[in-house]
Amino acid sequence: MSTNTNKGPAPILPPPLLNRGMVGWAHDNLFSSWYNSLLTVASGALVIVTLWWGLGWILLDADWTVISTLGGFLAIGEYNTEKACAGQNCFWRPQVSLLLVMVLVGMAWGIAQGGTARRIAVLAAIVLAAFAFLPYSFERMGMDIRLLLAANIPAVGIGWYLGKHTRMGSVRNVVFSGIAVFVIILLLLRGLPGIPGFEPVSVIYWGGMMLNLLLAVAGIVLSLPIGIALALGRRSRLPVVKALCVAFIEVFRGVPLITLLFMSSVLVPLAFPEDFPLNRLFRAGIIITLFSAAYMAENVRGGLQALHPGQAEAGRALGLPSWQTMTFISLPQAIRNVIPAIVGQFISLFKDTTLVTIIGMLDILEFGRSFIQSYVVDGKVVFLDDQEELLIFIALCFWVFTYGMSYVSRKVEKHLGVGER
Amino acid sequence: MQNLITSRLNSLTYKGIPVWRHAQVIQWTAQIVSGVVVVALVAWFFTNIANAISDRDIPFGFDFLGREYQTPIGQHFLPYESSDSFLYALVVGATNTIFVSVIGVILATALGIFIGISRLSGNWLVSKIALVYIEFFRNVPLLVQLFFWFYIVLALPTVREGYNLADIVYLNNAGLYIPMVTGNGVAQGFVWAASVVVAIAAGVLVQKRMARREEQTGSTSYPVMSGIGAAVIVGLVGWFVITAINGGFPLTLTTPEPQGAFGRFQRGEGFELSGGMMALLIGLVMYTSSFIAEIVRAGIQSVGKGQTEASRSLGLSALGTIRSVTFPQALRVIVPPTISQYLNLTKNSSLAAAIGYTDLTNVAKTMTQTAPALSIFVLIMAAYLAMSLTYSLIGNIYNRRISF
Repeated sequence: MSTNTNKGPAPILPPPLLNRGMVGWAHDNLFSSWYNSLLTVASGALVIVTLWWGLGWILLDADWTVISTLGGFLAIGEYNTEKACAGQNCFWRPQVSLLLVMVLVGMAWGIAQGGTARRIAVLAAIVLAAFAFLPYSFERMGMDIRLLLAANIPAVGIGWYLGKHTRMGSVRNVVFSGIAVFVIILLLLRGLPGIPGFEPVSVIYWGGMMLNLLLAVAGIVLSLPIGIALALGRRSRLPVVKALCVAFIEVFRGVPLITLLFMSSVLVPLAFPEDFPLNRLFRAGIIITLFSAAYMAENVRGGLQALHPGQAEAGRALGLPSWQTMTFISLPQAIRNVIPAIVGQFISLFKDTTLVTIIGMLDILEFGRSFIQSYVVDGKVVFLDDQEELLIFIALCFWVFTYGMSYVSRKVEKHLGVGER
Repeated sequence: MQNLITSRLNSLTYKGIPVWRHAQVIQWTAQIVSGVVVVALVAWFFTNIANAISDRDIPFGFDFLGREYQTPIGQHFLPYESSDSFLYALVVGATNTIFVSVIGVILATALGIFIGISRLSGNWLVSKIALVYIEFFRNVPLLVQLFFWFYIVLALPTVREGYNLADIVYLNNAGLYIPMVTGNGVAQGFVWAASVVVAIAAGVLVQKRMARREEQTGSTSYPVMSGIGAAVIVGLVGWFVITAINGGFPLTLTTPEPQGAFGRFQRGEGFELSGGMMALLIGLVMYTSSFIAEIVRAGIQSVGKGQTEASRSLGLSALGTIRSVTFPQALRVIVPPTISQYLNLTKNSSLAAAIGYTDLTNVAKTMTQTAPALSIFVLIMAAYLAMSLTYSLIGNIYNRRISF
């Protein structure tokens, strides 16, 4: 009854094909089953229709002249107009500020090991320098403006040299020079009375993307330390401190930012004496910073809660006082673990700077919109009705910055090895 | 002299330790100092405000709430007349906010789950489309998006030349008009609503019983199907009983109908989604759904692969694995951040002030022209705080239920 199933050794099969080319890839990723094929065809049709319709609109129907008409106004608002700085030429102040920022970016490239800083620095310098070759007439965009724009490339180079080959090249020095540069920029944009050609420009005329970036940078730099302080206060064992921090965080998190901004224009001027020097920009900046700090506090608190208590106990066991345990052991790890949330908050703060529109400040969005109907260019009144084109352009401007921020955060996370140790 | 002071200070001890080194003393000093500083600061602000109110004739007070508002409100879901009071107008505005948030939350959840799952799809094209959607809508300021949608709505054809689907759905630059179910008389509507509640309760009861029977006896009893069946049967019986008693259906379907030379639509017939509300809903839903999509993706990815493998090797089907193993665990990660997104959506709906939908903030902003601004903003901040506390309460209840 025994049947012999042994038919000798099985034939040796070739190894499975690892690289099967385009067709194999398409089979695995697009047409692996009948419903996958259906999905691919349906979504492919969607993409083609969207691209066809979208590209057709972008290339044929849309009228992009609105952006070239507004031009530099989108970048700096009315800063360089006759009413903002009468009798002087102010264009160089924002541009020198930009050059200083590019020097800082170059320094970051000089001391960074990875290629991300280099990529960003080079790309930013090239894009900015490319603006020098915009096909405007020389009356609308003078040679001086163009030269200062082109100077962004040498600025990055100088920064790179400073960071790589001089004693400026340490993280601490870059941070200190960053703070110094921020103060210098504020001074440059504000101006000083009594110096010819450097007369003050009222903050009412600070506008365009410049305003968004200033508010965002100030907010980011200030909201992180305030947020950390609030988070520590909320975790503190002292009941009074804890109650104060909880009340602050919950009130600022529970109310829409725009309501707070309205409040800043109604209540804040009343809360200070009448002659207190508190302008609109300052008020909006404070509100945005505090709003963001409340969210930041919750992020940092999440990081601290996720940290194993053994870390702090080990620090205490080594004999560190509690503030040193917090500064050198708990906080660095907690913050490292919540980098995505913190950068997400930075991004959302940057996006929220558009809300100053609602209290009548001329940021890039409001500027574009309020001057869209009619605007005087070269002595002629120009009428525009290309709202969609302008809004798409502004959306792209924001997208470049926000996407850049999340890209850098991913690289930093990788560099610090989050989720690996 | 120096020595004298040092020795005097050193003799100031508490439980044998110099006072400035004693932890309890330091902590209490810190608390008292911070408390006093904050109280002093707040007191200074309030004195300044009080001075400003009396010296600079800044109006303040809540007497205005009883006065007639005498200003029209564009879109409202509660009945509203210009002769109604300020307080009632604020309530109307708050209802508008709640209405738009509830619809927005439902749509954003559905779209967000859909996009989040697409992001995880094995199909390369679908996954990449979801990625582009998320990265674009998440990274562009909501206000820019709202303005964009608002101009798209404004660029639609006029009321007379608007789009028309089978004479029941109309789309034009004034808004979207769709058929709407309304109670055939308020009393009958309420009776029918009550019978719906009874039907749902019956369905839930049957589902629970059947599920217990399945657990105890092991025989297949289809708990969900029988629950739905019971609910439908009870609901239909209620419907026919009410119809028989009243001699008419308790609910009727009204369709929008263009009237007059300009083809305007009559209020109360069909449902009107004004242009501003449409733009606000589209913007809020697209913006929030991109965040929810990321939360859903992260939540599903957070469930270890071993869970799926273990449940498959125990003999559960692929669908059963998702339903009873993967999804309940993913939900634990998904729900808390999603609730905070709902709160963000509700707060972001205040941007309606920029595109002309009459939500709470917009109504309040208009009111500041005829009533003290200070009091109004105090009121609406309290209203938003109440909404956000409600969300936190829901979140806390959920967290307590799911914690181990």
